Amino acid sequence: MARFSRLARWESTLNACIRCGYCYEHCPVYKATRWEVDAPRGKLIILHELLHGRLEPDDYVAEKLFECFHCRRCEKACSSGVKTLELFRDARADLLDLGFSPVGTTSLTDADRCAVCLNCVRACPHEARRFDGTRVVVDPLECAGCGSCLDTCPAEAITLGRNFGTAPQELDERLGHLYGDGGPRPRSVVFCCAWSNYPGLQAARLAGAGDDGEVAYLVTACAGRLSAGTVLRAFELGAWGVLVATCQADECDHGGAARAAARMQRLREVLERLGLDGDRLQVREVGFAGAAAAAAAAGEFSQRIRELGPWYEECRT
Amino acid sequence: MRREGVDMGGIDTKRLRQIVGEEGVRDAPADLLVYGSDASVHQARPQAVVRPTTVEQVQQLLEYCHQQRIPLVARGSGSGMCGQTVPLRGGIVLDMKGMNRILEINLRDGICRVEPGVVDDDLNRELKPHGFFYPPTPASARIATIGGEIANNASGTRSVKYGAARDSVLGLKVVLPGGRLLELGGRTRVASSGYPLERLFVGSEGTLGVIVEATLRYVPIPRFRCLGIAKFDKLEQAGDAVSAIMAAGCQPSMLELIDHVAITAVNRAQNLGLPDVEAILLFEADGMVREAVDYEIERLTHYSQEAGGFGIESSYEAKERERIFAGRKKLFPSLSNFADALASTALADDMAVPYSRMAETARKIHQVAERHGLIMTAYGHCGAGCMHTKILMDTSKGEQWRAARQAVAEIYQWVRQVGGTTSAEHGIGISKAAAFKEEKAPLLELMRAVKAVFDPQGIMNPGKLMDAPDDWLHASPLRYDVDNGEV
Repeated sequence: MARFSRLARWESTLNACIRCGYCYEHCPVYKATRWEVDAPRGKLIILHELLHGRLEPDDYVAEKLFECFHCRRCEKACSSGVKTLELFRDARADLLDLGFSPVGTTSLTDADRCAVCLNCVRACPHEARRFDGTRVVVDPLECAGCGSCLDTCPAEAITLGRNFGTAPQELDERLGHLYGDGGPRPRSVVFCCAWSNYPGLQAARLAGAGDDGEVAYLVTACAGRLSAGTVLRAFELGAWGVLVATCQADECDHGGAARAAARMQRLREVLERLGLDGDRLQVREVGFAGAAAAAAAAGEFSQRIRELGPWYEECRT
Repeated sequence: MRREGVDMGGIDTKRLRQIVGEEGVRDAPADLLVYGSDASVHQARPQAVVRPTTVEQVQQLLEYCHQQRIPLVARGSGSGMCGQTVPLRGGIVLDMKGMNRILEINLRDGICRVEPGVVDDDLNRELKPHGFFYPPTPASARIATIGGEIANNASGTRSVKYGAARDSVLGLKVVLPGGRLLELGGRTRVASSGYPLERLFVGSEGTLGVIVEATLRYVPIPRFRCLGIAKFDKLEQAGDAVSAIMAAGCQPSMLELIDHVAITAVNRAQNLGLPDVEAILLFEADGMVREAVDYEIERLTHYSQEAGGFGIESSYEAKERERIFAGRKKLFPSLSNFADALASTALADDMAVPYSRMAETARKIHQVAERHGLIMTAYGHCGAGCMHTKILMDTSKGEQWRAARQAVAEIYQWVRQVGGTTSAEHGIGISKAAAFKEEKAPLLELMRAVKAVFDPQGIMNPGKLMDAPDDWLHASPLRYDVDNGEV
């Protein structure tokens, strides 16, 4: 037990988890894979067994524990009162002490490409990045995988270990499916924040729209990470409008809502110069509001987009 | 994490990967532990977890397992409370969440067709815009899969009016050991043609074959729903109210009893301010016409009052209903908050008794608990005759486990004595098997014979239902760590 000295203080909590699995509903990592080992309950089972010596820690276990967006949704939803974030953090610290060096959802810097400009160090909202005198290092306990650092790097030297559907390439792929042969070709694309509104919107997804190619919901990590390129790609493939649904700026753990607003404002100006109506690209602070509020935001937006019609018609006129 | 080739306890993982692809097989120790656990007190390790995505893959897997005599346990989200998906004899856990497509919603025929891994709430989200819902509604509907619900014959808060999974299943496609695909039942509301074999699979807990598709009926969402709450100073009064309500022919769409242990736990976990009384009843009526709902609510209020209920309020407002119901919805996970150092264990978790014995049964549960130095709670969908309990105890103490075993046995003996049954809606699994076997003793041979027809090698979820060990406490390792390992 000495190997897991921090985890040990959580023994009664691990027992109090009744393993109901209700956290599955809320976890963006589990939702991306639907493998139970990726869900908070899965992690708690692993930790219980590590603590009691029935499971030996290995690289796979360490990776699983570090695959987490720190969104706290599981903790907020847990009626058994399991403080998942603190608990996982202690377990991670124990695993690091044991010599494991997992990547999980933390950010990595390719030292060969890094010019040590330290933009990322300044951009990190979690003080997870620092310069150690020779290179940029990341504290895996602090990094929340928000991706705020990614596009501050002029050398494109930063990547996240695992993205669970939120990486630009993965979003591009999803867009490709949506607008490819036989795809639903939705008129509106809503990029949702994995931290705050995605589960809510996902819950509302089927209630109002989606059946008729009206709206598609894609999950991004922090909205502040969503690149102009991804948004333009949606337009290029055929979307009539794009909504970026962020946290409330004052609630955002990563300062991403403000960054997304600024970035999309710049992009909107570009679209307007091209003759498109600026309403086609909107940012809404949906935050942690429930499914109804999230669906309402998406509904209002898609109504406006229907009025506007396809952007390529607008260009022609 | 990946191991090459043959011999995971006789399982050829290379063959499994040929069938479902590289990504569809997991055999890291961590995966095996997670997939060997559910919401019960039990756990056991499979040798591999396999996720099929097509019917053909399921057929190939069942052909392979049948030939090699490899145990196989189908699993949805693993929210079962009795160990139904705990792979008691190892083998393969079949993760059905890879088959999660809604195949058809046919409004003209009033049916839908789904794959087994569809989550209940997801189906309901699809049905809602059309004005319909799929009625079993267990509290776990947010994660529970349709396949798992059918295999357990699950029901929920609205089962008093809308019935259990069994009442919603019209047809099933199942794969038998050996790989044979059967289509059972059909697409019509009624069918009097021979044995209803599709119903045999409902509640079979994966012991006969694997459900790969279900044709379901759904019902209209009522235009009006009114939810009420009544407080009682005595648990018996609440039980009597249930009995009186049902005897009078009322038609509630929900009738839930919550005792003081559950009230305390919910208040501690969620700070909802439920009234500090010995019991409360939640009742709901629904309908397309407001007058009809008013009528039911009036009667529900009347009989509650007559039995001693007070502080009765009811509301049609969605927000208010949500507030009143919030405590019930998260009751089960809240129970671990009743007191520090006591964990909520799913033991004697579910039973059904005749309405007239509801009050006595609720009291009996508390008496048995007290006698054994345990804390138990009584709550449930009493309008359907369903009573849930949980045992709250220090799970590190062997003597608490032994006391729990005795308490469980006594409670089920009582349930049998009053004409009730071992399981209302949570299935049998491992932890209720002893009581089930006693209750169904004259039928066990017949049940075994039925199983042998479908599963001659006995590979489907072996060691469950009529073949489960008599002593649940030692049937599998417990998920809890007990001091000195002594139970």
